[in-house]
Amino acid sequence: MAHSKPHDPNAPGHPSVAAPQNGTELDVYPAGAADSHHHHGHTIVPPSTLLAVLMALLALTVLTWGASQVETFVATMFNVVLPDWVNVFVALSIAVIKTTLVVMFFMQLRYDNPLNTMVFLFTMVTVLFFLGFTMIDLGTRGTVDRFKAAYVVDGGTGGIVLPSGSAVGANTPITVHARREAENPESPKHQYLHHAEEHAAPVAAVPPARDISQGFPVGPYAPEQSSPQKSRPVRGLTLPGLAPAAAGGDHGHNHH
Amino acid sequence: MATIDLGHAATHQRPDDPSLPPYKRYRAAAHYRDRDHEFDAVKMGVWLFLATEILLFSGFFVGYAVMRMLHPEAFRAGSHHLDWQWGLTNTVVLLVSSYTVACAVRNAQLGQQKLLKTNILITMACGFVFLAIKFIFEYSKKYREGLLPGWFYSYPAAGDPYEPMWWGIYWGATGIHALHVTVGIGLFMWLFSGALRQKYGPEHYTAVEGVGLYWHIVDIVWIFLFPMLYLIH
Repeated sequence: MAHSKPHDPNAPGHPSVAAPQNGTELDVYPAGAADSHHHHGHTIVPPSTLLAVLMALLALTVLTWGASQVETFVATMFNVVLPDWVNVFVALSIAVIKTTLVVMFFMQLRYDNPLNTMVFLFTMVTVLFFLGFTMIDLGTRGTVDRFKAAYVVDGGTGGIVLPSGSAVGANTPITVHARREAENPESPKHQYLHHAEEHAAPVAAVPPARDISQGFPVGPYAPEQSSPQKSRPVRGLTLPGLAPAAAGGDHGHNHH
Repeated sequence: MATIDLGHAATHQRPDDPSLPPYKRYRAAAHYRDRDHEFDAVKMGVWLFLATEILLFSGFFVGYAVMRMLHPEAFRAGSHHLDWQWGLTNTVVLLVSSYTVACAVRNAQLGQQKLLKTNILITMACGFVFLAIKFIFEYSKKYREGLLPGWFYSYPAAGDPYEPMWWGIYWGATGIHALHVTVGIGLFMWLFSGALRQKYGPEHYTAVEGVGLYWHIVDIVWIFLFPMLYLIH
């Protein structure tokens, strides 16, 4: 072979360029190279297809918006409370159809090497796992908690009469107990939640207003109670009867 | 359907003639068999990169799902601050740009140099329009009103105690998306400078194809963000 640059695949006479004339040359042929010669070329998508896809995408965009307007109209006109999932399901279905169009025609997966389609589909499966398992967790917490409530004493406070006077039954979930405590004006927790600003600790003891290293500050509103799905975004909240944390110092003794 | 071949069989017959346009003289890197081999490898590499992009944004989508399940009222209250008109306009802008970039790939395949440059410019312009709408009519307004993520939220009348969380999702997802649009504009500038020097044609259009794929993914992310952020009620 008379060529000066043996590693230049574009050079004349390179084994990958010169098609083998007989079986004896196959040993210098790179693995799989023979297959590439059956390559069907790269598709040039016709302009009519591209334009049709664009029109379909624009129509589906208007449909997404229209669907949300119809939902609003139905909800207000007939006084129906549509569940959240209707809105989400309609919007996401249309978005998936639009994505399929873009991926198949604009990104040419329809005409392309199937390996690229596999890359895309595996990514989608991964995203579905990611989303699906998160939803299984969030969607079933209430069930698990109810199931546990029958025989588990949450937080280990069962049967104790607390300093505020409220008794906690063995089967009372701690969230129910927390709500009762918050509603009981005698409870330090109630004081903490509803009269936080009156009982503010001396200014010097309060961390700088926006020092998030200490957690989020207590807002002027009474935060919602904790539930299996929600935790209260309050700093320094402790169980009634125990020493309050950072915010108040000796907060518990200040309100009499 | 019409197809083209990057010309592996004819490669060695093409002389390195300076009078030919650069795309006709393009040679695959030494570790590839031929230009087709290089094109396929680069394209698959781009797809693998796009897979990581999809996973990046899926983090925001999962975060969105969790927060919305926990605090639907906060999402409703927050979404009412957004103008769906601008969201819809930006969706149309991005869809049109996706179409023009698909046309640009076609122009490169057919060696239509003038149309290729025009379509790259239109796509770039769409990117600028998208960012202009986002910053002038949306971000600056929200910033002035204090509708900012989590800690920085200072709007006086929150519709729900958890509304700052919604703004975290909104600014995070649209911010990362806007960053991708900005990167895309830079890539189109690079493509345009190459197109001016006739670097892309039927024999070599790998860069046009790759940047096009990236831009389509940016478009797809917005296809999901638009209804999820703007059309909650």
